[in-house]
Amino acid sequence: MIHVENLVKSYNSNRVLHGICHSQGSSETVVLIGPSGCGKTTFLRCLNQLEIPDAGRITIGDVTVEACGLPRTSKEREQQRQLRLRAGMVFQCFNLFPHLTVLENVTQAPMVVKHMPQEEAEAAALKLLAKVGLQTKTASYPLQLSGGQQQRVAIARALAMEPQVMLFDEPTSALDPELREEVLGVMRQLAEDGMTMIVVTHEMQFARDMADRVLFFDQGRVAESGSPEQLFSSPQNERTREFLGLGTLRCG
Amino acid sequence: MSKSWRGTRALVFLASTVILLSSRPSLLAADILQQIKERGVLLWGADAEGGAPYVYPDPQQPAQLIGFEFELAEALARRLGVKARMVQNQWDGLIPALERGNFDIILNGLELTSENQQHIAMSRPYFVYAQQIVTRLDTQNLVGMEALKGKQVGVLSSSVAQRLLEKMGGVELRAYPGNVESFRDLTARRIEAVLLDSPIALYYAKSDPSLRFSGAPFAPGFYGIGLRKQDTNLLAAINLAMADLIQCRTLEAIYRKYGVWDERQASLQGYKPEIISSTAAHSTLRDLPKYLPLLFRGAVTTVEISVLAMALAVVAGLVIVLVRLYAVAPLQWLAKAYVEVVRGTPLLIQLFLIYYGLPEIGIRLNAFLAAILGLGLNYAASESENYRAGIQSIPRGQTEASLALGMSRWQTLKHVILPQAVRVVIPPVTNDFIAMFKDSSIVSVITMVELTKVYGMLAMSTYDYIGLGLVTAGIYFALSYPASIFANWLERRLCYDPR
Repeated sequence: MIHVENLVKSYNSNRVLHGICHSQGSSETVVLIGPSGCGKTTFLRCLNQLEIPDAGRITIGDVTVEACGLPRTSKEREQQRQLRLRAGMVFQCFNLFPHLTVLENVTQAPMVVKHMPQEEAEAAALKLLAKVGLQTKTASYPLQLSGGQQQRVAIARALAMEPQVMLFDEPTSALDPELREEVLGVMRQLAEDGMTMIVVTHEMQFARDMADRVLFFDQGRVAESGSPEQLFSSPQNERTREFLGLGTLRCG
Repeated sequence: MSKSWRGTRALVFLASTVILLSSRPSLLAADILQQIKERGVLLWGADAEGGAPYVYPDPQQPAQLIGFEFELAEALARRLGVKARMVQNQWDGLIPALERGNFDIILNGLELTSENQQHIAMSRPYFVYAQQIVTRLDTQNLVGMEALKGKQVGVLSSSVAQRLLEKMGGVELRAYPGNVESFRDLTARRIEAVLLDSPIALYYAKSDPSLRFSGAPFAPGFYGIGLRKQDTNLLAAINLAMADLIQCRTLEAIYRKYGVWDERQASLQGYKPEIISSTAAHSTLRDLPKYLPLLFRGAVTTVEISVLAMALAVVAGLVIVLVRLYAVAPLQWLAKAYVEVVRGTPLLIQLFLIYYGLPEIGIRLNAFLAAILGLGLNYAASESENYRAGIQSIPRGQTEASLALGMSRWQTLKHVILPQAVRVVIPPVTNDFIAMFKDSSIVSVITMVELTKVYGMLAMSTYDYIGLGLVTAGIYFALSYPASIFANWLERRLCYDPR
């Protein structure tokens, strides 16, 4: 489902990704952990082209993008857009559209991008909002909701485009502990339903419970990867041990 | 003779008049002649802007003033045993400035009329003027005032010529702030003729081979020196000095030097002051029904120009900001340059360039279009900056979320960024719209008669700067306040933040 070859990304002279390779099958949930500035968020953002990699090749489903700087031709731009359509993204700060209601937030992209008729888009949106437990909040505006509710709307919004994979960029980092659980619950449900997911997080419990595989990122490289049991109980890499030992370290 | 009317200055002047009413300078009570002799200087008020051949900067030596009135003031002061010093003052505001004590006398083409004499004292006349029709060389049969009916005729704003033609009626009048502008439009065939005081005609049109004097001058009148009514000693001294200057032909020598001497001036010698019958003073309150329709007509023009120019600015500003933020580099650079140049140069000069400059390259817009284009393109630069601030205030995450959902850049802009930016820019754009109502008064310099211009003309002829000023200000407020109420309502309606 996801295939990444030799992904390289630098900011000016500072190289943040040193040729990452990654393969992931359908319905697999992969959790990325690692210290601050290790490149895991950049890796995630490269996957749907919010960051343009310097080199490498990204395949999601049937779409492959060969990285070579900003897209110039309309064909390149269309490839980039197709890649984004395959991947749904959930951000740390939700990034809901504050001028639209909850329902409009979910229906807008299908209507604008896929030209879906309004009734159809709304029916689909209501189903998704019910799935994340917000069927009563459809007429509210994002700023009237709690952080946890906003993040659940953001998940529904991403799902409305029917992506083949879901990318989560620290989805619970901006939330109070009591609100995290409602978001994690929705994510658990998604994983159980067979969604292909990549999750950047420092929710170790979630990683233990839900991950099929955990990747430990360090200084722009995948330092270690394996099943949660392997990685958490007997990490092979010195840095992984250090990181898990100092479990309070946050990853940005 | 008359000079340009500038709305802003009128209001500054209005404010100063209000202050004057509360504290009249005490120096006015003392004998002014005594004071002039003690300080050794006679202060005379005039407007040197476009003032040839009366008083104007010497083209050879711009720091030095010349003109037949300048030399007359020097000669008069010499007779009084003092030096003369000119005090620059907007022509329309000379009488109120005299009354508040800015200078001792007005010596600047002030007509000897009963209206003027209701408010100030006037000396014996020092010049006989008449009205002269000037046309292009190829124009035939425009002789006498009647011939001007149905024609487009340029006059100096608030001049005798304007009053004469308005009284006669049936003429398409175009009032200009200065002399050069009317002759430019005559050459550019925007108007058929110019009617103006003979000395100005002699100075400006005689040397232009493409223009000619059509028929003999008519409707003669006198210029006199204006003084405050209570300064009777000074009036007597001035009249004495003037008689002397006429008698010993000093006056004739000065006028000959400037080419404005003609046989008519001989009548100055035997001038007998007429008894001016005192007509009822103007009262704005009583005459309001007479003035209101004129003010309303001006207000309609103000609204038309402001609304159309703002519509242009709002649309053009959007194009400019989109080009500046999203187009290819050379176009971005061009949009940025446009904004910098337009906001870095005066609106007045931009209007002059559009109205008087464009005909040189064959684009001849009428005053209404030129006004809308000038104001609209000027405000477009500032609207585009408002929009830019609004667009850039939307967090980057909004764009990222839209792109991640598969929207194109244009879809992101249209469905996510602009709808949010609109709310941010409503207050500054409303502010500009209200400013536009008031700034639109500047288009009177290209002959548009809008609200402030009407106020200026009415105030000039009635001397009721305060009453009419309050009424006019009230009309402006009545126009702009609904705009702010509407903007507030719109802002509330678009509000999505419950905090």
